[in-house]
Amino acid sequence: MATPILDIAGYGLDYATPAGFTRALDDVTLSIARGEVLGLVGESGSGKTSLAWAIMRHLPKSAREAGAIRLTGQDLLKTSEAEIEAIRGKRIGMVFQDPSTSLNPTLSLGTQLAEVLVRHRGLTRKQAWAEGEERLAHVGLKVPGQMMRRYPHEASGGEKQRVVIATAFACQPECIIFDEPTTALDVITARQILDLFKELQAETGVASLYISHDLALVSQIATKVAVIHRGKIVEQGAVAEVFARPRDAYTQKLLAAVPRPDHRLVDTAAPAAGKPLVEVEKVSVHYGRKPFLGRLLGRANTQFTGNREVSLCVMPGEILGIVGESGSGKSTLAKAMTGLNRFEGEIRFAGRRIAGLGDMDRAYRRDVQIIFQHPDSSLNPRQRIREILSRPLELYGEPGARKDAAAIGELLEQVRLPASFAERYPHQLSGGEKQRVAIARAFASKPKLVICDEITSALDVSVQASVVELLVDLQKRFGTAYLFITHDLNLVRQIAHRVAVMYRGDLVDLVDVAALTDGTLHPYTRSLLDAVPAPAAAAA
Amino acid sequence: MIEILKRMLRSPQGALGLVIVGLILLAVIVGPWFAPYDPEKMAPLMRYKPPSAQFWLGTDQYGRDILSRLLHGARATVVMAVIATALGTLVGAVVGTISAFLGGRSDEAIMRTVDAIMSIPSLLLALLIVNLLGKSSVNALLAIALAFAPGMARVTRSVALAVRKQDYVNAAIARGESAAYIVGREMLPNVVAPIVVEMTIRVAFAVMLFATLSFLGLGAQPPASEWGLMVAEARRFMHLSPWMILWPSLAVALVAIGFNLLGDGLRDALNPRS
Repeated sequence: MATPILDIAGYGLDYATPAGFTRALDDVTLSIARGEVLGLVGESGSGKTSLAWAIMRHLPKSAREAGAIRLTGQDLLKTSEAEIEAIRGKRIGMVFQDPSTSLNPTLSLGTQLAEVLVRHRGLTRKQAWAEGEERLAHVGLKVPGQMMRRYPHEASGGEKQRVVIATAFACQPECIIFDEPTTALDVITARQILDLFKELQAETGVASLYISHDLALVSQIATKVAVIHRGKIVEQGAVAEVFARPRDAYTQKLLAAVPRPDHRLVDTAAPAAGKPLVEVEKVSVHYGRKPFLGRLLGRANTQFTGNREVSLCVMPGEILGIVGESGSGKSTLAKAMTGLNRFEGEIRFAGRRIAGLGDMDRAYRRDVQIIFQHPDSSLNPRQRIREILSRPLELYGEPGARKDAAAIGELLEQVRLPASFAERYPHQLSGGEKQRVAIARAFASKPKLVICDEITSALDVSVQASVVELLVDLQKRFGTAYLFITHDLNLVRQIAHRVAVMYRGDLVDLVDVAALTDGTLHPYTRSLLDAVPAPAAAAA
Repeated sequence: MIEILKRMLRSPQGALGLVIVGLILLAVIVGPWFAPYDPEKMAPLMRYKPPSAQFWLGTDQYGRDILSRLLHGARATVVMAVIATALGTLVGAVVGTISAFLGGRSDEAIMRTVDAIMSIPSLLLALLIVNLLGKSSVNALLAIALAFAPGMARVTRSVALAVRKQDYVNAAIARGESAAYIVGREMLPNVVAPIVVEMTIRVAFAVMLFATLSFLGLGAQPPASEWGLMVAEARRFMHLSPWMILWPSLAVALVAIGFNLLGDGLRDALNPRS
């Protein structure tokens, strides 16, 4: 094999904190040759992004380093700041996670792309602009001339990420770091960006370091994969090798945690037909107030529609999955059903008519609980777990019901947390533990329907698997119905009985989970299914 | 609490602010016992004395010892200012949080009212209230508290708006909690930190406002040894003995600087990211 483009040998990184040094990376050894894609996989806090910044030589002052990072033989650790500035952007490019924050909102896209060309390739402004247009055409943008003049807020997420990629490739660098470039994008857009990446990679033969938490995705695009856990590379090798025969226990755990549609976690048979628990009938949600002056002057309504006449029903004990991209109105529906949004239309719960917020009495609120996406934000940071869990008991408990420490301990044990957690504050728990507390809070009132609003998407893969397992377990024990909102199709195919697909506020499909593989589907559902990366090759 | 103190001592503003405010509090608590003379004892033969070994800071137009008067006056001045600020902050914080919680038209109505009150300069507003209620220290205190409340409401609302969007507030609404519980238990504890900082800085304003009211003859009444009043009385004798006006003015300035530095230090200490 030829000399690698990027060669990291025994690299260690510590951050100085008031309490001493914290190890971020420990003895990392990696090498990427020309034309290779190294997928670096790890959970949040494993040091993936620290490594990216170390390669870019952009570390905080508190960093202490060891080992070597070589770019075609030149040790970047020993290179002066001035030389690094010439290397950054020219020989090493970087693509960031979120294009809406990595582009400057006050400069046009063209200016930002041309600047790189002027700086590193010595072109004049005019030449750079022309070259920029060519570059944009190259990354598949339909109207490159127009796009150059647009500002970031005038372009969609996918278009912006294409511009960022064009910028990274602009100076024909030897090495490009991709830091989760598709995580902030919608499923279908992400798919297109991935295709673009593959195309450009094959064409330029650049050495790529592709950082991701998504195993399925890495298995599709990388040639080599390295698994990082708490700053250490626990396993690396060819993709097929690592995914088929993982040797390290952590890799095995990660692979096992990836949701697989063919591996059902609940009985496929939907609950026997009967009276539905909740029926949502023609529920529409509009955001924004009707402008008072506008109404007087007869101006057109400027309200934004969150849901348009959505109708669905949930059987007792059924898991109904709702999927759709961001902004499709999934959460809006959840909020309407829990009284956080005004709605038009009608909800029937166990035969009772709920036509508005006023009809949601204590009994309804007890029976319908919601769990939110971010446990950080759904638990009050100033309250102890005990206080957080005691509220539903006080609000809904029967007069004689216990509200003491033992009752709270039971709630915690129900979600497999030690009872001693009652005295802790939320910030003393990990993300997964916090989400379990939120689940415990929802189940405290013994509800009939629990709305799970993207509850696993802020969690790491392995934590997500255990939370889902817990939910399935609770569902079996209490026969609770779930409205499971997610953007992860693989996950929803694992646990849902029926799947509802939403697109721009409309419900476009409502089918049995089995019908997703065969059966007639709305074209949008079809494209959504096609865009989802198949899970990593099943571990033999 | 100890952790916050430690962090404050690490920054120069915080440390200096703590020292100054500590000294002031010391003067407030034990000052009267350390005063060398009775603050109201007149001595016709000892009038307009410059600082000397006998009278460290000199004497005033009635021959009263200025140091003793300052030490006695600390209580009236600083305690009144702190109480007035605390009262104003409490009212403002509750109004601001309620406004953020209600949102929509109620929020508009409350905040536009607050804007209207804020458009009147606080000194003018305080003067108006004191004139309506009559001259006395307690009325001056109420006036300052009322003058501060709108500003605090505005600051609190901006913080509370961010808290209002948090899911724990949504969770409480979905749970069917009462508005009082949500405002009092879910939202207020989470807006306290920035409010405390704002409050310490405003204590300095309150001291000055209080001194100004007394200076204009609308706050403390003679023979009280309130600092603002001392400045007002000394003004006529400025050319005879500049010391008389200098010391109380310096004392007011010191309190203002001390609380300002304390507020700066506190803001840095309460923000773990800095």
